[in-house]
Amino acid sequence: MSGDAHEADLPPYPGTPRWVKVFGIIAIVVVLLFIILLLAGGGRHGPGRHTGGDVGHTPPAGRTPPVQHL
Amino acid sequence: MTMTPRVTKLALTAHVTSSVGWLGAVACFLALSVVGLTSQDAQTVRAVYLVMEPTAWFVLVPLSVASLVTGLVQSPGTKWGLFRHYWVLFKLLMNLFATAVLLMYMQTLGYLAGMAAATTLSSGDLSGLRSPSPALHAGLALLLLLVATVLAVYKPRGLTPYGWRKQHEQRRVSQP
Repeated sequence: MSGDAHEADLPPYPGTPRWVKVFGIIAIVVVLLFIILLLAGGGRHGPGRHTGGDVGHTPPAGRTPPVQHL
Repeated sequence: MTMTPRVTKLALTAHVTSSVGWLGAVACFLALSVVGLTSQDAQTVRAVYLVMEPTAWFVLVPLSVASLVTGLVQSPGTKWGLFRHYWVLFKLLMNLFATAVLLMYMQTLGYLAGMAAATTLSSGDLSGLRSPSPALHAGLALLLLLVATVLAVYKPRGLTPYGWRKQHEQRRVSQP
């Protein structure tokens, strides 16, 4: 088939560069960390996760807290 | 997709402007965050958290979306493509990630602005309002955007398997 011949003409892929592998590992770690933090915060992203503290009072009307403050 | 050189240049200018503008806006946001975290003046702290939300809505979000859209429009018209080179692919993923986190974080900024706007806020509440969260987010965003800028300038080598196939297809067409 012409498609097979076409594939056969293609030189072998030289492989993924090392910097891409390093970047890929860092990206996977960052995304996993983000997902873990997101799940730990009940699926919402907010200040409570990073401050680890209560902002201290009831939010003003019309403003819902982005996370349950721990 | 075929674009005339003039349109390509215009799209590139729009992409660079929005991307570098986003980087600069995040740097300003980081400065605001640090002031909000460290200032001893209650009015200053309050003002910082009040101004963060509109700044993010009117500057950060439009620039991040503009950077993403102009990148998507512009890259297929260049020799780099969108999925052919790893550095372009990484920039796309970083842009998508940063924009998504920013949009999710708008809820937090709205909450902090609401707290700062509360008229019954005491000085004790203000110290509770101080949050390292905006500084942390702005710092990480700045790092991410700096990496994206370095990738855009240095353009490190590395074709994706798709890019490799396309390159050889084009060579075959140009050298029958």
